Amino acid sequence: MSDAAVASTAQRRRGVIRPGVNRWALLALPAVVFLLIFFLAPLVEMSSRSVTEPPGAGLSNYVKFFDQESYVRVLTNTFWIAVLSTGVCLLIGYPFAYLMTVVPGRVAGLLAIAVLLPFWSSLLVRTFAWQVILRDTGIINRFLESLGVISEPLPLIRTTAGVIIGMSHILLPFMVLPIWAVMRRIDPEYGRAAANLGASPARAFFRIMLPLSLPGALAGCLLVFVLALGFYITPALLGGLRDQMISQLIVQQVQQRLDWGFGTAMSVVLMLITFVVLFVASRAVRLRDVFGSAVED
Amino acid sequence: MRRWTSFTASLATIAIVTGCSSGGSATPIPTAPASAPAASAPAASGSAGPGASASGAASAACNPPKQDGVTLTFSSFGGVYQDAQKKAWQEPYTQLTGVQFQNDENSSNATIKAQVEAGQVTWDVVDVGNDFGLDANKELLEPLDYSLIPKAEMNADLTLSDWRVPDITYGVVLGYNTDKTAGKVPAGWADYFDTTKFPGKRGAWDYSEGGMFEFALMADGVKPADLYPLDLARATKKLDTIKDDLVFWSSGAESQELIGSGEVAMTMIWNGRAWSAKNIDHKPVEIQWNQQIVTADYLVVPKGTPNKDAAMKFIAYASCAANNAKPSEYIPYGPTNNNSKPNPDKVKDLSVSNADENSAYFDDKYLIDNFDAVDAAWQAWKGGS
Repeated sequence: MSDAAVASTAQRRRGVIRPGVNRWALLALPAVVFLLIFFLAPLVEMSSRSVTEPPGAGLSNYVKFFDQESYVRVLTNTFWIAVLSTGVCLLIGYPFAYLMTVVPGRVAGLLAIAVLLPFWSSLLVRTFAWQVILRDTGIINRFLESLGVISEPLPLIRTTAGVIIGMSHILLPFMVLPIWAVMRRIDPEYGRAAANLGASPARAFFRIMLPLSLPGALAGCLLVFVLALGFYITPALLGGLRDQMISQLIVQQVQQRLDWGFGTAMSVVLMLITFVVLFVASRAVRLRDVFGSAVED
Repeated sequence: MRRWTSFTASLATIAIVTGCSSGGSATPIPTAPASAPAASAPAASGSAGPGASASGAASAACNPPKQDGVTLTFSSFGGVYQDAQKKAWQEPYTQLTGVQFQNDENSSNATIKAQVEAGQVTWDVVDVGNDFGLDANKELLEPLDYSLIPKAEMNADLTLSDWRVPDITYGVVLGYNTDKTAGKVPAGWADYFDTTKFPGKRGAWDYSEGGMFEFALMADGVKPADLYPLDLARATKKLDTIKDDLVFWSSGAESQELIGSGEVAMTMIWNGRAWSAKNIDHKPVEIQWNQQIVTADYLVVPKGTPNKDAAMKFIAYASCAANNAKPSEYIPYGPTNNNSKPNPDKVKDLSVSNADENSAYFDDKYLIDNFDAVDAAWQAWKGGS
């Protein structure tokens, strides 16, 4: 054995030199291969269609999209509806998550079930349920009419408000869970310490709870926003003429018109803008909080 | 690279559009009306009438040879509609020829494209809507064998091509809720646009080429024969007059529910759905056949199927006079063969039997060739103030 070899063995024993690759990382290999084959490759193939179909398309599909004022309006509308749903989810979800952290464990469990329960029924069923509740001949309007409070039905459905109600309901769990996960990790001793030092409950909340739970709130907003961008059934069923989402146009092109070049071009536009949003957000939020918080203990 | 095509088909819609959200599993997008067919009709017995004229081609078509060991995959829109096609055509055909059928209930233009591009064609005969099967799709389809299929007997107002032949007719009609119209009968689309005479909301399919432009023009006095090329400016101007009263639907089930519940007083609706609202749901719904648009579903054969010849023989059988009207025993969708006579008891519910000089027909070629312009006008109108 040479001196060098001895030295290196010793170093290894002391843990100075580590193996270049963590062997446990190999366990992720099947998942990585799976993603490559079933997600990345089709995505690349699909995106490439936006510039190759029809043959020699180049950027013509993108030009066609941005030339079409009404299509661009649908795109901006998509973002507007996503922003509104996110806002409403935050307004409802944040206090709810806070409530879940301050009540006793058993009650918190019940509240968690209340949030998760809608997950167990189909989105379509929930949207139809909202239709039955909100429409002109629906539960609310019939009830108010029978009381004589209103003579004409309230415009609850086929309005942007209807879309936001339906979407917020469906997306709320994605807001509540990340916020709750972060809030649960905040040591209650901080609050007691603040009170001990003479802070009012409101002041303690704004100086302690709010800043510490902010990553959770931002994470929730990001999740809800990105998910909302892809919606179209709920807006189609609860919205009015102007509440169309870009996904509806994409489906039309892909499934019916068979213009996959144009359809994928629209998908790529939506995807790129989503990436931009994620990138900008990643400067403010650790994406780890977004995609990991709900499962972390 | 091609092998990814089928992944692409699903991922283009699933991963990007809906999969990354909980955007939904079902897709209430514009799709052929038959995809949401009428609810169950009582299965009547009795023959579908005499198979009249027997030209050489027709007799061969109606009397296919024995073909043991053949299995055809038939793709249509599922539900009661496909059940009717099974009972009317497939079951007797199996008895006659020994040909077995596999049924797929998710007919889709996109799937045909994906199968053909991937070279993995598993559908042999596909029932498609009127937006598919003309020259624009010739790369995806086998030319039909018109030496077997009785082309000359087919309803010439429908749009045949070298690649598609109509198998059933249906109507896009004015349906009205008699409670909401207080017993008055709307005479046609002019009354649909007249919310003073007939108060209440109006249902419409949220699809640019579903018929609303045509109905607006007819309401404005355009004759059915003069509809095309569509005067989009005139149509949108007419649509503006009831913009605030319109309720859009995106699936047949929704239209049936809207008119049945009285949420809308009138709606544009597929005749099978209006029929179901009245006869299955027992709602106060009636059809005004005047100024209906008569249209059809078509049979096509995806390019590259190994069962091409057997597929042609089956299509010929379903098209021939003796058999073509038989689905109308089970569902109010009519024949496409002029010589095929439906059961007289069923005639009053069929679009094609109620057709007259005021009826219109979609100009499928115009609509397919001009989709971009028509759809842009529709989107612009919807988004405008």
